[in-house]
Amino acid sequence: MVFVTGIGIISAIGKNVSETLSSLLESRTGIGKIHHLQTIHANNFVAGEVKYSLQELENLAGLKNSNYNRTTLLSLLATQEALLSAGIEDITTHRTGFISASSVGGMCHTELLYEDFLEDKSPENFIDSHYTGAHATDVAKHFGISDYVTTISTACSSAANAIMLGARLINNNILDRVVVGGTDALCKFTFNGFNTLMILDKEWCKPFDNNRKGLNLGEGAAYLVLESERVVKAENKKVLATLSGYGNANDAYHQTASSPDGQGAYAAIQKALQVANLSTDKINYVNAHGTGTANNDLSEATAMQNIFKQNIPPFSSTKSFTGHTLAAAAGIEAVISILSIQNKTIFPNLNCKTQMEDAVLFPVTNLQKNVEINHVLSNSFGFGGNCSSLIFSKN
Amino acid sequence: MAIYINGTGCISHQNTIDVADFFENAQVACQQRLVAQEPDYKNYVPANMFRRMSHVIKMGVAAAKISLQQAEIENVDAIITGTGLGCFEDTDKFLRAIIENDEQLLTPTSFIQSTHNTVAGQIALLIKCHNYNFTYTQQGLSFESALIDAKMFLNENKNSNILVGGLDEAIQPYFDLLLQAGEIKKQEDIIVEIENNKTKGFCLGEGASFFVLSNEKHKNTKAEIKGIKTFTSLKDGGDLQNKLSLFLQELNLSVNDISLVLSGNSGDVEDDKILNETNRNIFSQTNIAYFKNLCGEYFTASAFALWLASAIIEKQEIPTALVNKPTQGLLIKNILILNQYRNSEYSFMCISSC
Repeated sequence: MVFVTGIGIISAIGKNVSETLSSLLESRTGIGKIHHLQTIHANNFVAGEVKYSLQELENLAGLKNSNYNRTTLLSLLATQEALLSAGIEDITTHRTGFISASSVGGMCHTELLYEDFLEDKSPENFIDSHYTGAHATDVAKHFGISDYVTTISTACSSAANAIMLGARLINNNILDRVVVGGTDALCKFTFNGFNTLMILDKEWCKPFDNNRKGLNLGEGAAYLVLESERVVKAENKKVLATLSGYGNANDAYHQTASSPDGQGAYAAIQKALQVANLSTDKINYVNAHGTGTANNDLSEATAMQNIFKQNIPPFSSTKSFTGHTLAAAAGIEAVISILSIQNKTIFPNLNCKTQMEDAVLFPVTNLQKNVEINHVLSNSFGFGGNCSSLIFSKN
Repeated sequence: MAIYINGTGCISHQNTIDVADFFENAQVACQQRLVAQEPDYKNYVPANMFRRMSHVIKMGVAAAKISLQQAEIENVDAIITGTGLGCFEDTDKFLRAIIENDEQLLTPTSFIQSTHNTVAGQIALLIKCHNYNFTYTQQGLSFESALIDAKMFLNENKNSNILVGGLDEAIQPYFDLLLQAGEIKKQEDIIVEIENNKTKGFCLGEGASFFVLSNEKHKNTKAEIKGIKTFTSLKDGGDLQNKLSLFLQELNLSVNDISLVLSGNSGDVEDDKILNETNRNIFSQTNIAYFKNLCGEYFTASAFALWLASAIIEKQEIPTALVNKPTQGLLIKNILILNQYRNSEYSFMCISSC
């Protein structure tokens, strides 16, 4: 059994857990006009930006002249909050790891200097901070974590895999405690990439709506502190939730598109249920991947229908609050899933009005309070066919 | 629990595809950039997929296919890859297009293939593998991260076959970036004996090395992976030597049990200091060979070293390109790989005959 003892988050809906919870309770989306990302598309699209400049993020972290890029600072801020929330003061008391996730790492910085590099103008060295795993090295070092540090990059499912790996490292008695999650900063590279795929909605995304037009990109970071049963007992720690199940599978259908029957998603959910030793009727809420693209939502809906049959639990996509934060998404949604359990609340899927014609399900669209939530399923899928599901349970 | 290497595939600067030629024609090339000798990819990749694949995807998919063929299996229970750089050719292409076209009229292909998990995803597509699929990226420990996961996976899932690989490409724009950052050794400073370097910098290499691992022995089993450990914050040479003693102790091995050390010197006089000190202090009586003058320095060069160790144990032969003195008749029982990347990331791997 693996216990969640700390959470930390920064996204478009707040710079910490309490701001995030307020936004969720007030159904206040963080998706809006683009202010920080320098792109010619800024006036034509909305995005879930973290509402701080690079300098402001550095100030928030209490740093000066750190030379950290946005990806690293987001990671550092969310990790800081997670460690604080877990009441960890001395990192060296247990075998501690840091497992992060990112899709493009330092691209937000690289793309600003690449033109000078191409024109042979010898800009400052940006290659060392470009590497996707570089932020993990820096953040782990900042907090003195050294027993195991690695980064997972499986596109939009990355943080789910980081969380899963952390649990397995504890279950295999390799670590006692591990900070797990992911980070991604908005950048022109990703923005233009998704734009060329023509899956960006220019207005607020409408996950699971029949008239959905695509996703809104977001940015942020979120981390959980996972601890072993031994540590939790020895230190009499407050437990926020347990990570009871996890599953990873590959759709093996197409490099970017999900299969129409949601085979990979189905397999990931089924494996997570198996690990948690739960039947489908025990799941009280599903925090869906729900990007708002025609392809993902249909594939995920089909997988859910196949898994849950007639009894589909209440579900919602909170990407309508945060935007799709790519490699950080499963971290952010893990924190939201745990907030759901703690507050007995299902946060709504915003902007969904019309049921999908080709599916029988419809998400929760209004805040639901006083719901007994014992088990939450959180789904994440990505390019490369990567599908991952996690189950968080009430302790 | 034993981890057996049942199949391997390697594409590198050397001819590592033709198994009959075991470094007989090895070239210790004095070049700043050591590119891979590539096979006829049509033997491994369907033509319709081949056209769109970038350099690293081709190397990765082909090396994976070769290792599956050797292990005589068509599918696996897990695909785990490690890459420090990811798919840089496609990343560079898309970045250039953004800059040159001012974010307009772009096509998605290079973006789609730029994600780090592209190779693991393409292998899954090719062999229709719906199972566990992971991609790690942690600079010089990317492959080691994949291997540590593989070890756990075999512990959790008995009787499974895993495909694990390390891959990185040394394409021109990346080389240019490193050159500009001052990381590449000056041409006039390059010498054949990598361990005797007195100058800064390394020669950039590339490659893809894949392994089929299992708890079960197979008629083609080459070697056993006894242990793996990684370190990110070493204090000094003494710290590494202490950690090495502990590592050997955990494996019930003494220094005398090590038949050969594959030392990951990059040729950078500063970065190699700790490894040289360790080799001098602990392995003064042991055969030491260097491999980065054969494959170049790159994030997943340790995967090349694992391939090399596995081949040496299988053939019970150390190629003369690796050691100066004759080693015929030497029983090669355990090989220790000591690797470092930029003197900030270190790893140990122990590979044994079985």
